[in-house]
Amino acid sequence: MRGRTPAAFALLAAAAVAFIALPLLGLIARAPWSQATAVISSPEALSALRLSLVVSTTAALITVTLGVPLAWVLTRARFPGRSLVRALAVLPLVLPPVVAGVALLAAFGRRGMFGPLLRAAGVQLPFSTAGAIVATAFVSLPLVVLAVESGLRSLDPRFEQAAAAMGASRWYAARRITLPLIAPQVLAGAVLAWARALGEFGATLMFAGNLQGKTQTLPLAVFQEGQQDPGAALVLALVLVVVSVAVLFALRSRVLPSR
Amino acid sequence: MKCLPALALGLLVLAACSKPSTGAGSGPGSAHITVFAASSLTGAFTEIGKQYEASNPGAKVDFSFGPSDGLAQQIDQGAPADVFASASTKWMNDVSRNGPGVSGEVTFAQNKLVVITPKDNPAHVGSFEDLASPGVQLVVAAEGVPAGDYAREALDNAGIAQKAEANIVSNEQDDAAVVQKVASGEADAGVVYRSDVSAVSGANVKAVVISDSVNVIATYPIAAVAGPDSSVEASRFVSYVTGPEGQKVLDAFGFLPAPG
Repeated sequence: MRGRTPAAFALLAAAAVAFIALPLLGLIARAPWSQATAVISSPEALSALRLSLVVSTTAALITVTLGVPLAWVLTRARFPGRSLVRALAVLPLVLPPVVAGVALLAAFGRRGMFGPLLRAAGVQLPFSTAGAIVATAFVSLPLVVLAVESGLRSLDPRFEQAAAAMGASRWYAARRITLPLIAPQVLAGAVLAWARALGEFGATLMFAGNLQGKTQTLPLAVFQEGQQDPGAALVLALVLVVVSVAVLFALRSRVLPSR
Repeated sequence: MKCLPALALGLLVLAACSKPSTGAGSGPGSAHITVFAASSLTGAFTEIGKQYEASNPGAKVDFSFGPSDGLAQQIDQGAPADVFASASTKWMNDVSRNGPGVSGEVTFAQNKLVVITPKDNPAHVGSFEDLASPGVQLVVAAEGVPAGDYAREALDNAGIAQKAEANIVSNEQDDAAVVQKVASGEADAGVVYRSDVSAVSGANVKAVVISDSVNVIATYPIAAVAGPDSSVEASRFVSYVTGPEGQKVLDAFGFLPAPG
């Protein structure tokens, strides 16, 4: 049985849908479809698309590798300052991306706190693809942490208790019991982080710069084309939308629990 | 299909909320104007705005600074600008042809390019030609941005376009972003306007002069945006910029006077 929806909610929900759909509709309406194939098959667009996929996928892998253990520690471990660490873990989500970029420069830029250390190791992050990956991973890490945390919190503790009672080591229980149980949330976090990384603009521009084939991801290409050829920018923006929607749609049942 | 009327209502609410604003609220009698100006003008126009407001009681000037190309596109799309000051005639022409049109267009300043390096000049850039040396991490404004187009033109004039462009590590959104990248020491050198590094700008960089034989002169036009309510206030502000007070500020900020 479904509850009845108050009319006011239906109205506001419709407004919400319109709010999201209308700009996309505008994009579709204004895009110069006659140039679409030429724009999409241009070397600039292809290199931006390729770079975007490399950057966002690598960033998603990094965020899962770091985010799952962090969420684990935040939900399971008791230690002083835990709430502070938790606030820190979600901070990139609310930080303006440009600020994130400036902060990354202050830490890992050539003149940043760890710049000399990185240089000694032969690493330069600004103006490099690695820098773009760092910037996008920074802003999308909280999405993995939040998703995995919610998974861990809603987990029935009896499974793990049973495993422990039967003599399973902590690592064995985590690997064979807990992680498989929260796999949907891990995947959801990974996909959200990936989508966020794909759309990242401000931190990337600030920290990694904008150079075709190296740091010019699709959002940066949309921005730069906007300065020369607004029509091409619209087409590239649509490519970005289509890629994001395709992935969210393909993983919809795993990412967005539909009842 | 119960949700259809709701959807229609929702759209109505949206439509009601989005009544197009006219000329930044500059109705008749209001002395409030909005000036869209190239980002290279940020310092000078902020100062001019202050002086203009002080000498015209009741007048209020709001600024929107950004890359000229972006501003032109915003105006073409109906952004509420009363005055447009561009870093190139190209984008003024764009508003004139593809946008709401302009009136009283006049050249009010010129600018030229300089090379900038961090204060300690780690890549030892001593001349414009040094930008072609291998390993110099060069940042410029993106193509299509006036500052970026001018920089490429100058590199071409000097015959070092190919080598120097291979040194470009980032195409920035405007000249201010180039200054930021160089001042922070992330890049070894950049090409920006002379006005970006004037004494008053306080930019923490070292400037290297580019000889006039290869340098590019940027021409800055200003005009009232001729929408339905192109106002008297707009042309008054334009006159103030081209007048002695405005010119004095522009000079202090490193701009060159308009020719003639």
